[in-house]
Amino acid sequence: MSQALTIDSLFVNYERTAVLWDISFSIPAGTLIGIVGPNGAGKSTLLKAVLGLVKPLSGRIDLFSKPLQESRSRIAYVPQRETVDWDFPITALEVVLMGRYGRLGWFGKLRKADREAAWQALELVGMSPFADRQIGELSGGQQQRLFLARALVQNPDLFLLDEPFAGVDLATEKAIVNLLKTLRDQGKTIIVVHHDLPTVTEYFDWALLLNTRLIACGPVSEVFHKEQILAAFGKTAPLFQEATHLSAKSRVL
Amino acid sequence: MNYFTDPILRAPTIGCILMCVAASLMGVVLLLQRRLLVGESISHAAYPGAILGILALALLGPEWEEYSFLAVLIGALGSSWLGMKAIERMERKIKIRSDAALCFTLAIFFGFGILLASWLQESLPQWASQAQVLLFGQAATLTDEHIMIYALLALGCTLFILFAFRPLQALLFDRGYSKSIGINTRSFERALFWLLLFSIVVGIRSVGVILMSGMLIAPAIAARQFSNHLKTIFLLSALIGALSGLLGNVLSVEIALRYDSLFLPTGPMIILVSATFALLSLLFSPKRGIAFRLARLASFRLRCLEENILKEIWKRREIEFAELKRHYHPILATFVLQRLIGQGWVDRKGGVLTLSDDGQTRAASIVRLHRLWELYLTEQLGWQAEKVHMSAEEMEHILTPELEERLTKLLSDPQRDPHAQPIPQKRPVL
Repeated sequence: MSQALTIDSLFVNYERTAVLWDISFSIPAGTLIGIVGPNGAGKSTLLKAVLGLVKPLSGRIDLFSKPLQESRSRIAYVPQRETVDWDFPITALEVVLMGRYGRLGWFGKLRKADREAAWQALELVGMSPFADRQIGELSGGQQQRLFLARALVQNPDLFLLDEPFAGVDLATEKAIVNLLKTLRDQGKTIIVVHHDLPTVTEYFDWALLLNTRLIACGPVSEVFHKEQILAAFGKTAPLFQEATHLSAKSRVL
Repeated sequence: MNYFTDPILRAPTIGCILMCVAASLMGVVLLLQRRLLVGESISHAAYPGAILGILALALLGPEWEEYSFLAVLIGALGSSWLGMKAIERMERKIKIRSDAALCFTLAIFFGFGILLASWLQESLPQWASQAQVLLFGQAATLTDEHIMIYALLALGCTLFILFAFRPLQALLFDRGYSKSIGINTRSFERALFWLLLFSIVVGIRSVGVILMSGMLIAPAIAARQFSNHLKTIFLLSALIGALSGLLGNVLSVEIALRYDSLFLPTGPMIILVSATFALLSLLFSPKRGIAFRLARLASFRLRCLEENILKEIWKRREIEFAELKRHYHPILATFVLQRLIGQGWVDRKGGVLTLSDDGQTRAASIVRLHRLWELYLTEQLGWQAEKVHMSAEEMEHILTPELEERLTKLLSDPQRDPHAQPIPQKRPVL
């Protein structure tokens, strides 16, 4: 099977603190995978590194066996909901249309096909009745659906979702999971940063356990065991973090 | 008097209008980035550079005095660019809080500028007036050459926003996502940065370093009050800016003509006009305006009072007006009662108040909501029965018919509340 994402010896630092340390893994196409780990484990940073939003110290990231620049049009990002200002003057439909801006360039115009696609995506996530609403009037779950719709209109082969279930009602959570599974069945690869351990086996095919270092990556039945989870969340990990933190501090004036 | 053709008046008028349009457009960008203070810092940071420009001209080529505005422009651009870089450095590298970095830069640069200006005053007094002008601006002495620069600037800002509207909107709303779909955020931000820099530095000539940030902020804030659509906000802001530029000029000239002793400079006048626009919009714009919100609050309070009085009468079947006045504020009670009687909910015979049949229905449905909510809190959420009353006192005024429907279903059409009081039934629908 072809690989959707292959990472080799990835190191990422913020200032002098190690956030990701020697990460190597690969994810086959058509997998629904959850990235799990404690707070500050570098889960979001891993997504951002894949998207080129943070610059790695070293390492190689391949998407569909090509560097990011050549495969950008095949990936879609769903950021954390809190990262944007929801009082921003924009309607739900306009947010979804943003998914097409990547194809337009600086001065391009939206075409009818783009609008149709946006409406279909809104329909798919059950948000078409709210198309003309100002985004601040939407509930948390609706805002998350909107972000998902925006990724859908990009028509990507790889989805990267950052905490899509944070601050979302249970009905929306289930609806999103079902949608993700449908997309997986269509052959899409979906990577989800997730923080709720009990639902991992129910939601995902694969799991990636992360705590600055990679603990495990593989099918849920193989990697989602007590020892592995302890390794990610347990007492051994913080020692590593403390040590790297100390080393970072000792190198600063 | 024609402000657009008169050879003395046309330059200040048209120049100010164009400058204001550019500044108001860039103000919207700052407003949405939540970095309004940047305008304040950059304009102050321009001051030392402008003085240095004058200084350089005075020392190197005093015969070029008529082109001093170019020297000022170049100097100001340089030092505000430096200021902006200093702010970025402090925020990113040293991790200083953004507002601290902005204020620090403002104070240091402006202080240095004042120092230079006073030195200029002592050593080259014939050039000092040029420096003085930059503090509060001097629109009245604008010339036709200035108009050309301002026109280019306004055109640049307008065209940029017009043609790059979509990626600009994406960038302002969600930077990370914009980058992920391949929008070149870095060149975009650089373009915005230079447009902002230019609009501030150029505006200083007419409004002055101290007031320039007002020109950026006020129209944008006013426009934001009226619309939830970015395009409309840009358009409105430019319009309000242009109007401020025009009115500021007109007022300044007219007042000077009418009252000889009263000379009000144009720059501050423009700022006053646009600030007035902002203030009025904050107060009276529909939906977001303070007056509107106060009115909505007052009408909700009034409804609560009405419903509480209806409930009181419903519980006692009848009540003396005098007693009601003891419970509530007498004037307010009288006013509310007049309304209730006028609208047909309450009948009054002598001093005694009873509910009309419509009043009965309305009061019963309020009590129903109250008791449904109490039951919901105890049965579904596990509250203690003694503690639910206060919450229900509020929710009875808020619950909508749809929520009532859902509550009824959830509790399977209950008959009694947690205090064993009967829950009034809904009037059967035919």
